[in-house]
Amino acid sequence: MTASIGNRHFVLRRLHSLLGLLPVGAFLIFHLWENSQSRFGAEHYNREVVEALQGLNYLVPIELLVIALPLILHAVIGLAILRDQRPEPLRYRYARNWAYWLQRLSGIAILAFLVLHVGMTRIQGLWTPAIRTDLYGHMQTLLSDPWIFTLYLAGLIASVFHLANGLATMAIVWGVTTSAAAQRRFAWACTGFGVVLAALGVHGMLGFLS
Amino acid sequence: MRETPSTIELRIRRQDGPDTPPYWETFVLPYAPDHNVVSVLMALREHPLTHDGRRVDPVCWDHNCMEEVCGSCAMLINGVPRPACSALIDQLEQPIVLEPLPKFPVVRDLLVDRSAIDAGLRKVHAWIEIDGAWDTHEPPPRIAPQQWATDYLYSRCMSCGCCMAACPQFGAGSEFVGPAPLAQVRLMNAHPTGRHDKTERLHAIMAEGGLSDCGNAQNCVRVCPKAIPLTTAIGELGRQTSIQALKDLFGPS
Amino acid sequence: MSAPGAIVVGGGLGGLWATLRLAEAGFPVRLFSLFEVKRSHSVCAQGGINAVLDTKGERDSIDQHILDTIKGGEYLANQPPIKSLCEQAPGLIRTFARMGVTFSRTPEGGLDLRLFGGVKHRRTCFAGASTGQQLLYGVDQQVRRLESLGRVEKFEWWEFLSLLIDADGRCRGILAMDLRSLEVRPFLADTVVLASGGFGQLYAPKTTTSTNSTGAAASRVYQQGAWFANGEFFQFHPTAMLGRDKTRLMSEAARGEGGRVWVPRTPGDRRDPRRIPERERFYFLEEFFPAYGNTVARDEASRAIWRVTRELGLGIGGGDRVYLDLTHLDRRFVATRLGAILEIYRKFAGSDPLDTPMEIFPAAHYGMGGLWVDFERDTDGGMRPGSARNHATNIPGLYACGECDYAYHGANRLGANSLLSASFSGRVAGEAAANYLRGLDPARPALPETLITAERRRQEAINQRLLDADGEENPYTLHQALGALMTERVGVVRDNAGLEQALAELDRLEARLARIGLGEANRWANQTLVFTRQLADMIVLAKAVTASALARDECRGAHHKPDFELPIPEGKFPGDPEFEDYRARWRENNTRWLKTTLAEYAAPRPRIHYQAVDLSVCPPSEPRDYR
Repeated sequence: MTASIGNRHFVLRRLHSLLGLLPVGAFLIFHLWENSQSRFGAEHYNREVVEALQGLNYLVPIELLVIALPLILHAVIGLAILRDQRPEPLRYRYARNWAYWLQRLSGIAILAFLVLHVGMTRIQGLWTPAIRTDLYGHMQTLLSDPWIFTLYLAGLIASVFHLANGLATMAIVWGVTTSAAAQRRFAWACTGFGVVLAALGVHGMLGFLS
Repeated sequence: MRETPSTIELRIRRQDGPDTPPYWETFVLPYAPDHNVVSVLMALREHPLTHDGRRVDPVCWDHNCMEEVCGSCAMLINGVPRPACSALIDQLEQPIVLEPLPKFPVVRDLLVDRSAIDAGLRKVHAWIEIDGAWDTHEPPPRIAPQQWATDYLYSRCMSCGCCMAACPQFGAGSEFVGPAPLAQVRLMNAHPTGRHDKTERLHAIMAEGGLSDCGNAQNCVRVCPKAIPLTTAIGELGRQTSIQALKDLFGPS
Repeated sequence: MSAPGAIVVGGGLGGLWATLRLAEAGFPVRLFSLFEVKRSHSVCAQGGINAVLDTKGERDSIDQHILDTIKGGEYLANQPPIKSLCEQAPGLIRTFARMGVTFSRTPEGGLDLRLFGGVKHRRTCFAGASTGQQLLYGVDQQVRRLESLGRVEKFEWWEFLSLLIDADGRCRGILAMDLRSLEVRPFLADTVVLASGGFGQLYAPKTTTSTNSTGAAASRVYQQGAWFANGEFFQFHPTAMLGRDKTRLMSEAARGEGGRVWVPRTPGDRRDPRRIPERERFYFLEEFFPAYGNTVARDEASRAIWRVTRELGLGIGGGDRVYLDLTHLDRRFVATRLGAILEIYRKFAGSDPLDTPMEIFPAAHYGMGGLWVDFERDTDGGMRPGSARNHATNIPGLYACGECDYAYHGANRLGANSLLSASFSGRVAGEAAANYLRGLDPARPALPETLITAERRRQEAINQRLLDADGEENPYTLHQALGALMTERVGVVRDNAGLEQALAELDRLEARLARIGLGEANRWANQTLVFTRQLADMIVLAKAVTASALARDECRGAHHKPDFELPIPEGKFPGDPEFEDYRARWRENNTRWLKTTLAEYAAPRPRIHYQAVDLSVCPPSEPRDYR
């Protein structure tokens, strides 16, 4: 079998690439925007943001099919890809080689972070109604602990890097950027995007502490 | 300006056979300004004495043209994969550390087995399908000089294996064909006749070990001694395979 | 008897072409090479490949190409093969282009042509600055295609050791050695095409050839009875950049664009060349050849450099080197016109020719001579297509093509004709060998097992003897001695006393080789053992070359013996009695020496005899006169 669409390998790798942007990457952008609302205070955040979302119809199917399942698929294929890596960041100290290595490191880091993050918020919230009604307060308590704050910051940076760098390589994988100049230009654009996104995220975290 | 040294110190990773453990030996040779790594190894094989005067087996390595067109003498020189013939002693930090080209099975000392490159070229159908090696009495296909200029960059690939040695996705246990064969797909797909078999080549690199296994670390393009735009080829093949997948999905295939 | 099959030894342009044509004729081919075939020395040819396409509006003609080739070789090559070579060159180029070879293009997308040394018309197809590499990759890809179809089997990292010859004297296969395990194994075949390349390594390190151009394979079949022809004709390139490992070609364009060749007037002057004032520089080419100056022909330039360094002792620092100076030229002009070759010099010499004069010396570049091969003349005066006699050596079943044959270049080779002859001869040899296979008696007896075993044992015994040897001589040191000897005595300029000494010295080298010690006992990938075997065969071949040179008492092409020079009387033209006398002596010399030298192996010295040259296309009627 040589036809590409019949070949699991090609389909899975492209699926992995696509899922990273849609919906996983898109959700990250939304999620960071949503949490940046924290600076407008507990009341605004809890009512306008959290309650509004919780009031959505079909919330659980959406959460499962649009967020959890793609994320898990992306992670599982990503872990499979890890098998092939032989990174040599010290021998080849080029930016792209470091990005290659960090993409894989950050992938693992994000996975670990997400288990804690989702566990401490969405999962714990299943049996602790107080978390659902006052997510702002819950987050404030969590982030006041410098350890957890640092953990969140690391998780945030890893996620943003993974998305921004993923975007840059995705453009090569799909053949959007081909020339070295185009790849370089787009990498800078992705860097800019990443910085803005990271700022948005940090802004949101600090919002819970104000 | 660096002081002119009076000796050349080599540290060589040696290995007596494919299955024996590697070991290191140090050699010190008299300095001359016009030495390159190949000529030093030539001098060494005449008098294979370690720095402490021990007589050892001459070091095995591969070389042929010594003009950086045959691709034989690639090895790891001070940690970087590159052809030994164009590695001038005066431009290298001492001690000069020589290791076999990584990712390829060691045959002996600095000699490695690069048949994986040939296998990759076969796998991706890196040739033009012609009726036969005879004259058809027709003018050859026209190719615009602009297209020639980019094609020529790829046709200079000498299968030295540096790109593959530096590739974090290529190596034992991996099916990835590596950058060099992929670049040939880019070249063949651009040729007026080669285009006829574009689909076949694209399907070959859309299978296991093909283009998808590239991790975009882009070390290949940094170490290529011929400055071949390997990552551009990979981007172009990304585009070609994307379009091919759409054709496979929606037709016409 | 099994289905007939073929063996090709060597994977350069010649070998790959032969492989293609044999496989296309439907015969299984086993291809042997010392290394991956795409690393063959063909990749080193930079300049281009001649073919009369006449696409530049210059009314170039195939007849002119034939004439240029014949005259370039000073009439020493048989003319029917040259006729076919030139006639079929355009078709060969078209075939290469169909294979995908990246020939440089005109603005219209057609094949571009460039002017190359010694001819008046643009006739040379080229692919950037790496034509040989591109041509080789074209056929390499086609062979890989056939390999994937199971019609060709490659044996890379195998060395040809000897022919298996049956009681009738026919070649029936080869013995080859795995360069890793040193296993010696027989391979049976009904025809063998030898395409093992040139023998420039006899002159190492003053040669532009690759390490594997040892001539060992040709020497081995020569020792088994194949004739070695015109061995004394070896082309020296005047401007090669010096190196310890090899000398690298510095294109003649450097002289063509205004480069000046000089040495300090004071012997042994070690000053920085930039500090040597103009009046203390000896621009010897300009003084020796006022009419041509630095652009004098290759041979003349080589001899002048030889004279200045070896006879006048004026080489830089007393050594074998002279300056090729571009520093007086406009930097921007030089950079645009000579960009590619400046890059090569910078890369391998580590200095910039725009700042410091380059250091160069003549280097052994191409052997016109090689294994004698036959041809069958067709009614049209060319070589009869498909004849099983074409490119057949005197051993039935053994064919030779590429630089290891002697066929096309006579006493000297025209620039950009070597890629052409390598490709063309490979194609012809493949077709001839295929027809030889077709004509074989189906009831031919099998090769006796005892013969195979005996030859294998003999070869294994050589390996064992070398592994056990613990003499004091080092093969690499001996190789250097060989190279120095050949460069000194059998090089640019020869004289009979020196050649006699060289033969004696070669005997001594052979004796020293008998006292060899490899210094290693590892049986695995033992490169020293492999090289020592090659070196023994190189010395034998060197004797054939030297004996051929000794026997030929004249100056012709690359073979220059000043004692037998026939100079054109200065200022005298046809009609003048002095010129007529010269013409008579020139005719007499041709009667005596316009013959192919054939060296037949014999110990301790080869037997030399001569064979008439087929001059049926264009017999020499007038001496060359460039005035």
